Amino acid sequence: MRTLAFFLLAMVIILSACLFLSRRGRRRDSDGEAYGIECETAGSFAWDPLTSELSGRIFDREDSDFVANETSREITRQFRRARTALALDWLRAVRSRVNQVMRSHFRASRGNDDLKPADEIRLWFEFLLFQLTSGILYLVISVCGPARAAELVGYSLGLAAQLQKVTEEALPAGRQVAAELMNRDQEPKNGNAVS
Amino acid sequence: MHGELKHGEVEVARRHLADRTLSKMRGDFARLVFLASTRNYNTGEYHHDGLACMFTESVAGRAIASCHREVFRRLVLCPLKELVEQLELYASSNCLGPSELVRIWERLQPYRATVPLECSPLAARFFVSNVKTALAILQSRQGRAHPEPLSA
Repeated sequence: MRTLAFFLLAMVIILSACLFLSRRGRRRDSDGEAYGIECETAGSFAWDPLTSELSGRIFDREDSDFVANETSREITRQFRRARTALALDWLRAVRSRVNQVMRSHFRASRGNDDLKPADEIRLWFEFLLFQLTSGILYLVISVCGPARAAELVGYSLGLAAQLQKVTEEALPAGRQVAAELMNRDQEPKNGNAVS
Repeated sequence: MHGELKHGEVEVARRHLADRTLSKMRGDFARLVFLASTRNYNTGEYHHDGLACMFTESVAGRAIASCHREVFRRLVLCPLKELVEQLELYASSNCLGPSELVRIWERLQPYRATVPLECSPLAARFFVSNVKTALAILQSRQGRAHPEPLSA
């Protein structure tokens, strides 16, 4: 009982810290530019297949090591700051995408008699797990930088893909909405699937 | 039926552009700059006289847009080390020294205009950030190769 209480307390603290950092990060991203390698403001989050593929590059250590070997400490610091801001923007894009899918599922499931409670519970549990993982990821990226958060990114992306799969399986109408959502976003692009 | 026909035509035009024009350019940066330069700043539409004569204006525009997206995708996903090499290649193919390229590009930032229209803001920011870093690396390589003489 005591362990459970500690666990819940730890969860609440982590979630609050993530929420705080997420809001703070959004404000800080709009701050200045220095040395030419700037952290530009986030803007709106459109999703395209390239956004999924970008994670491989944003979180790759190779670029960071290369910059450290080739340039001064000041530029390396600027580069790491820029990559951290980009990684946080990428994470926000993924979260917003997952929230969008969940909202669509919620809309489609209202008044649907074919709902399976077990599937719904599983879906909401996985959604909560995703929120928690991405919150921790936000914290890790902010504190340690994107290169060290790479493994957690893989796990988080796996959960996002799983969520999408579950929403599609849980509800035929949800599947249709999700498919429409994907098609609408991907039609004008080069046709690669979201991984 | 008409849609499929048009898609086929676009593919033929795309291959024609890739084989006859883009393959003769040295490096993806040269290709990117060329493709972006065929785009109208105001309308965002692409225009290429030769391709439009062979196909139609619309088919040519779509073929160029497709090539533009593909070249941009390659550059945005390539490691920074490769991007620096691409920039060096671009500078040498334009008979420019890397330092000259860095000087001009840092001031004009023409690479911002090479981003495809449909690209997400995140990918665009990532590309711009990478090019700036690549320019900083080129500059620091130049500084090491030709150190400024100490004043007496």
